[in-house]
Amino acid sequence: MLWSRELRLSDNTFEASVTAIDLQQLYKTYPRRPAPALAGLSLTVEPHTLLALLGPSGSGKSTILKLIAGIERVDSGDIRLDGRSVLSVPTHRRGAVLMFQKAYLFPFLSVAENIAFGLRAQGVGRSTIQAEVARMLALVGLPGIEQRRPGQLSGGEQQRVALARALVTRPRVLLLDEPLSSLDLAVRQTLQSAVLQIQRELGITTILVTHDRAEALAMADRVALIDHGSLVAHDAPRRLYERPPTRRAARQMGVETFLYGEVRGNLLQSKLGPLGVHERPQSGAWATYAIRPEHVRLMPHPAPNTVAARVDARIYRGSWTEVALDAKGVKLQAHAPLPCVAAVGDHVYAQLPAEHLFPIEDDDLQERTA
Amino acid sequence: MQRLDTGYEQLPTRTARSCSSTVVRLALRAGLYALVIGPIAVLALYAGSSGWFFPEVLPASWSFDPIARQLASPRTREALATSLGVAGAVTLLALLIGLPAARTLGLRRFRGRSLALLLLLLPNLVPLIATGMGLNILFLHLGLAGNALGVILVHLVSALPYAILALLGVFARYDEGYEQQALTLGANPLRVFWHVMLPLAGPGIVVAALFAFLVSWSQYVLTLLIGGGRVITLPMLLFAAVSGGNPATIAALALIFAVPPLVALALTAHALVEGTAPVGQHV
Repeated sequence: MLWSRELRLSDNTFEASVTAIDLQQLYKTYPRRPAPALAGLSLTVEPHTLLALLGPSGSGKSTILKLIAGIERVDSGDIRLDGRSVLSVPTHRRGAVLMFQKAYLFPFLSVAENIAFGLRAQGVGRSTIQAEVARMLALVGLPGIEQRRPGQLSGGEQQRVALARALVTRPRVLLLDEPLSSLDLAVRQTLQSAVLQIQRELGITTILVTHDRAEALAMADRVALIDHGSLVAHDAPRRLYERPPTRRAARQMGVETFLYGEVRGNLLQSKLGPLGVHERPQSGAWATYAIRPEHVRLMPHPAPNTVAARVDARIYRGSWTEVALDAKGVKLQAHAPLPCVAAVGDHVYAQLPAEHLFPIEDDDLQERTA
Repeated sequence: MQRLDTGYEQLPTRTARSCSSTVVRLALRAGLYALVIGPIAVLALYAGSSGWFFPEVLPASWSFDPIARQLASPRTREALATSLGVAGAVTLLALLIGLPAARTLGLRRFRGRSLALLLLLLPNLVPLIATGMGLNILFLHLGLAGNALGVILVHLVSALPYAILALLGVFARYDEGYEQQALTLGANPLRVFWHVMLPLAGPGIVVAALFAFLVSWSQYVLTLLIGGGRVITLPMLLFAAVSGGNPATIAALALIFAVPPLVALALTAHALVEGTAPVGQHV
């Protein structure tokens, strides 16, 4: 709230830009590419929220941002900001500012002139511009560097200036196309929280494209999983992480353990024998169940809901050890807490706690092996 | 300090080697300067004296009469104005056509791109006099022979490939992201052109303009062929003077001819250097 009061300009305020984004049945195919970049994608972003688009490279995430900004044209479908279609509005009047992986600071302008670029285009007066530039630089944590040249700044500083340059125009929508992905981890995490704090305080509706699951979970109000140009799942980060609805969503959320079987009462009958489950499938008796790797427990002896397994591989990750298991041909993934004593080839018992086994919709039937 | 017997002492010492290489470098540099400045200096000596005869090392008496006489002559003034006008028009047209052409060729991949590039460069790949003959016939039919417009167009045929090549260097490593960024920040396309594309492509544009100007400025054959002796540019006066045989007149005209390109070169030296640096990388 503090910032939005400080950022108020003469007559226009940040509060005025309460913008909802509504994407309807977007189709987009690039010339000389056989597969469509977007195949009928629909998605809604609530005002003031930050939506993360998460997906592998080439999944169509960036295309969504380019279409909203108007840099690319849609083949069919509609884009609405606050309920009004913007397809016929040219890029420079859409009020949707894009930030790319590269900061794109104009090398022939100083930091101050870079930030002033959008305001000059709007015809804002010189004194207002000067004050706004100083305020924005303070907001992104780089006060007093007005006269520097982009080439004199570090990668992180360049992205901060790019953020200031984007925010100063008071965009209706902020579109972030992996702006932090080229920075090293420490700078990235600092900037993640800076961007998040500013986004929260200004309340700008924001879409963040990322292929970094941790970044999406840490920053977003909602996460949309994108793959092959369509929406796989769309939910709050925690629900998506703990209960991904489909096999593809689960894989994108790092789940690698799937069991197919028949549910009778509270027992799942699969290749691995009966296992207790708490949740029943939505329909029918046959269903695929999944479990997150951190919920699979390794034990030296049998216990309730355990299966015998052999350790196939282990990767030391610092605060946990990633263990790949084989149980009668079924692949299991476990994240064992620090002291993991099992070695490759060892026979162990993997406990799949009933409360952590959850049914998923199997949207990738070729993958149904177990 | 104790010396280790490593065998390195047998090699020429560092200072001796760098000394000899310094001498070579200085000699090369002096030679290069002499090659560039020498001819112009000789011209200046001829044009700046009332007479320079063997065995004088330098002219006995100095005077700027030959140059003053040429600058006062209406014929020379007219030719100078024609040359400047034609070269200026050629430069402008070469940029107007070359900029969109080079941008498209540099940024887009389309069917027939190589063919388009080849056709644009073709006029300079075949001997100019051959192209000129064909154009002469064509221009006679079109009524463009014997007037300034025809001369400008025929110069453009020769200048455009150079301008496009210079601009292609810019757009081959041009990042359109800057323009997209400017658009999303609210700048309209015209503003993007003036405030983003021109500054980014600036050095290349200056180089292209310089090439186009120089090609037109030093053109003789095509001017004669298409102009038919009715469009008199400086090179035509110069050739006439050469057959006349007065060294002072020749030198004065040659100096007047050489100065504008040298001024243009001096003004654009910075851009010439910058034009070879990657776009968006200069600090």
